[in-house]
Amino acid sequence: MKLASRLALAAAVALAACNLALAQTSPATPPPSKKTVICLLPKKKGLPYFTTCAKGAEEAARELGNVELIYDGPTDGSPEKAASMVDRWTLRGVDVIAVSPNDPQVLGQAMKKAREKGIHVITWDADAAPEAREFMVNQATAKDIGYALVDAMAKDIGGEQPEGEVAIITATLTAANQNEWMRFMNERLAKYPKLSLVATKPSNEDQRLAFQIAQDLMKAHPRLKGIFGISSVAFPGAAEAVKQAGKSGSVLVTGLATPNDMKSYVHDGTVKSVVLWNTIDLGYLTVQTGAALASGKLKPGQTTLDAGRLGTKQIEKDQVLLGDILVFTKDNIDKFDF
Amino acid sequence: MTGRDRAARVHFGVLAGLALILFGFAAWLEPSFIAPATQRDLSLHAFELALLALPMTCIIVSGGIDLSVGSICALAAVVMGLLHEAGAPIWAACIAAIGAGAVTGALNGAFIAALRVHPLIVTLATMAAFRGLAEGLSRARPISGFPPEFTRLGEGYSLGLPIPILALAIISLAAGLALSRTSWGCWMYAIGSNERGARYAGLPVDRIKIALYACSGTAAALAGIVFAARRNTAKADIGSGLELEVITAVVLGGTSIFGGRGSIAGTLLGVLIIHETRELVSWHWHHDELILLVTGTILVASVLLNNLASRRAD
Amino acid sequence: MRTPPANGPDSPGIPPLALRRMLAASRRQFVTAAVLLFTLVAVSIANPAFLSGQNLRDLLVQSAPVVIVGCGMTLVILIGEIDISVGSLLGLLAALMGVLASPQRLGLPIPLVIAGVLVAGAAIGLLNGLLVTRGRVPSIIATLGMLTVLRGVTELVMGGEWITNLPPSLRWFGTGSSLGFPFSLWVAAAVAMAIFALARFAPLGIRILAIGGNPDAAAIARISVPRTKLLVFALVGLLTGVAAVIAVPQQSVIESGIGAGFELVVVTAVVVGGTSIRGGYGGVVGTILAALLLGSIRTTLVFLDLGESAVYWERAIQGAFILVAVLADHLASRPGPDDSLAGARA
Repeated sequence: MKLASRLALAAAVALAACNLALAQTSPATPPPSKKTVICLLPKKKGLPYFTTCAKGAEEAARELGNVELIYDGPTDGSPEKAASMVDRWTLRGVDVIAVSPNDPQVLGQAMKKAREKGIHVITWDADAAPEAREFMVNQATAKDIGYALVDAMAKDIGGEQPEGEVAIITATLTAANQNEWMRFMNERLAKYPKLSLVATKPSNEDQRLAFQIAQDLMKAHPRLKGIFGISSVAFPGAAEAVKQAGKSGSVLVTGLATPNDMKSYVHDGTVKSVVLWNTIDLGYLTVQTGAALASGKLKPGQTTLDAGRLGTKQIEKDQVLLGDILVFTKDNIDKFDF
Repeated sequence: MTGRDRAARVHFGVLAGLALILFGFAAWLEPSFIAPATQRDLSLHAFELALLALPMTCIIVSGGIDLSVGSICALAAVVMGLLHEAGAPIWAACIAAIGAGAVTGALNGAFIAALRVHPLIVTLATMAAFRGLAEGLSRARPISGFPPEFTRLGEGYSLGLPIPILALAIISLAAGLALSRTSWGCWMYAIGSNERGARYAGLPVDRIKIALYACSGTAAALAGIVFAARRNTAKADIGSGLELEVITAVVLGGTSIFGGRGSIAGTLLGVLIIHETRELVSWHWHHDELILLVTGTILVASVLLNNLASRRAD
Repeated sequence: MRTPPANGPDSPGIPPLALRRMLAASRRQFVTAAVLLFTLVAVSIANPAFLSGQNLRDLLVQSAPVVIVGCGMTLVILIGEIDISVGSLLGLLAALMGVLASPQRLGLPIPLVIAGVLVAGAAIGLLNGLLVTRGRVPSIIATLGMLTVLRGVTELVMGGEWITNLPPSLRWFGTGSSLGFPFSLWVAAAVAMAIFALARFAPLGIRILAIGGNPDAAAIARISVPRTKLLVFALVGLLTGVAAVIAVPQQSVIESGIGAGFELVVVTAVVVGGTSIRGGYGGVVGTILAALLLGSIRTTLVFLDLGESAVYWERAIQGAFILVAVLADHLASRPGPDDSLAGARA
């Protein structure tokens, strides 16, 4: 038992050292001042898309001065872990929780509980049920995204009536956002009767698997004209498969991604359009909205919001609008660096 | 045997010390984290882990392993959701889901006992197959809209404690007594220490194994149902990766991966340490990456320290 | 701590049993080969495009990393241990490769990058081995811990950003060909032949089999059990490095999730290939066949084009396939010398 206590002491020292080492890199506990604590929850931590959003959020927090920003999310994208984080923040009693729900159903419950405790809850990037949040910082609805993807593909294939077989490579079959986008993509495909969707395949968030599936699809469907890569790793994986098969330009790939990750494919012609929005501005606007809500400057029914360097932003009902979806092409992609 | 008992006691002591230090450290670092109300609400996050760790302890003690528990969670939740959607009364759907869990678990047990395939291999294959079944049956969509008397099961309070945690306490007590006080429990240790010997001694080894894996499946089904109640959603991706967390907790609690040694009390302590570490790291540092780092280190370090300690003690 | 495996009335080392084991092992490999052949023929009849040279080539390239790491894993399982950290190790080595090679980060010359990745792989393999031999931590626990730790380290190293601008000379290792075949195939073939020769003919291979069959007997026969195990763990780490060198540059983006779930694919390939999970017998040939079989299942489902709702059943079909392969394997080789007891050496 003497040894046990010695070991216990060693463990305590190790933990304390760990704490000291981390204290410098991480935001410490909030001092009991009047700082507004805003929590920003991404769908999946570690994706460049969300990392760039976090950069914009930090910028806004710095400008506002009295805001403490907490950015954390599940590294594996698990909705259950995300919901647990919302639970924890609720118990901590933070001021604002901004959620990008990876699964609106699973997170909705946790968000409702946070609201019952008097915490301001908003959504950003993706929406949940209206009763689960006060506002949504809206860069694009699922409908906008689904339509924009299909329209971009139709334009890339070209012609009065774009024609050919297309396929979708999604994240996982259970991914709520992707399923929502695919619903609207199918709806929009009706407008182009000669585009036929021949396959929808999951890539399990694995770039290599997306690559292999794109290879298989091209061989199994020789008349394939286009592939949608609708998760951030499916897109580069599919583009790489097309490029290595020597089919750049004859099989077109499109999807959602940050421009920096896709520049090389846009320049060599594998990808003609990348659909996205300004992610830095999205993070920035989210923190601005959260801070305004916490300080009472933003109330339900308002139609505009003063959003720092972004100027005045429109509010439609409970949607704070960021602006239009951007389509990056060969001509404009080099102007963006994120 | 006394050497082994002593090693087990040392390990338990180390863990208890670690848990105390953890709480002390947390109290110093984040007083609000230690508040009973906070701890009570956070305890819900450990329910699935703790519930599955109980039968897993018995299985590992008897020399087996079950990697399919996370998938059975999903399968049972989906079965329950689909039946409810089809108009079955919610409690009937729950009973059917628990039945499905028991049957899939017993199937694992049958492959292991009757066909004599190694449990690691059987459950590695059924882990994929059961999750696939859940995905196919539900067409991968979330099933929602459960009645409030059902969701209360997942987040309601009774006697000042969350209902799942009360249930967990009762089940833990039963599992602890079964493993340490009944002849069945004794047989599990016997099978885990020397299976051939147990067979020669006339123990119903195959029947015990099938019963054990059926229990594991039942517990997994219950965990899946409670999850569905807490988040008001049944879906095919519930419990992904849970099996490794459960095994981590059981092994951390001092159960030998080779069978023959282990206890429910140790497992509960293992669950407690993993749960509190996870919550505290997330509460204070907001770095999800760190949780992986810390839990993995604790697992290896605890076994390593225990080995060093028992070597000295010998 | 470890209970010696009960091997039945006959003890290993006596020629008839060794022969019987070899026969049992080859019978299992025969089953795997037959299932593989049947799958290929059936799909080719349904969709002749499956049999094109390009498709077979892609299939081989896809399976290369599983084959390479699977060869090392076969040795680890033969010796009676397991290493489930290889998936996270692959991810960490990918991140390391990106950090070393990317012009925006360190931008080292390519030979140094390759050497760095291989050395790091071997070093972490060695660390696993030390935990198992010196620390007496059961291998499944040591490598389970490493699986989570290494994934956490990878996330911290990447810091939420991806590495996209790999130098073309590094990309060649994943995309280039020499003498008409992809470079990765040459590497996989070389590794497979080397490990096959090592397992079959070299003293090390015999030592591995002896230790896996009965560690106590091996120790009495003056075989250094810890040193052999160390070597095998380091080897599987090194081979994971080799797999990283050919697999990671095939893609344009290095992200933090590379290798997630890879360990399960590799272990599945080894056990479907007929190597006993408790060590002592099995072989590399079965692993290679099983790796190709597992790789072709998914492709098969794309070529069969089973209709719209079939996609939701794909995972179930794959799981059922693995289950059937494993069970058929066990039934075909009964009564084996090994499976009379479903004991506890995970």
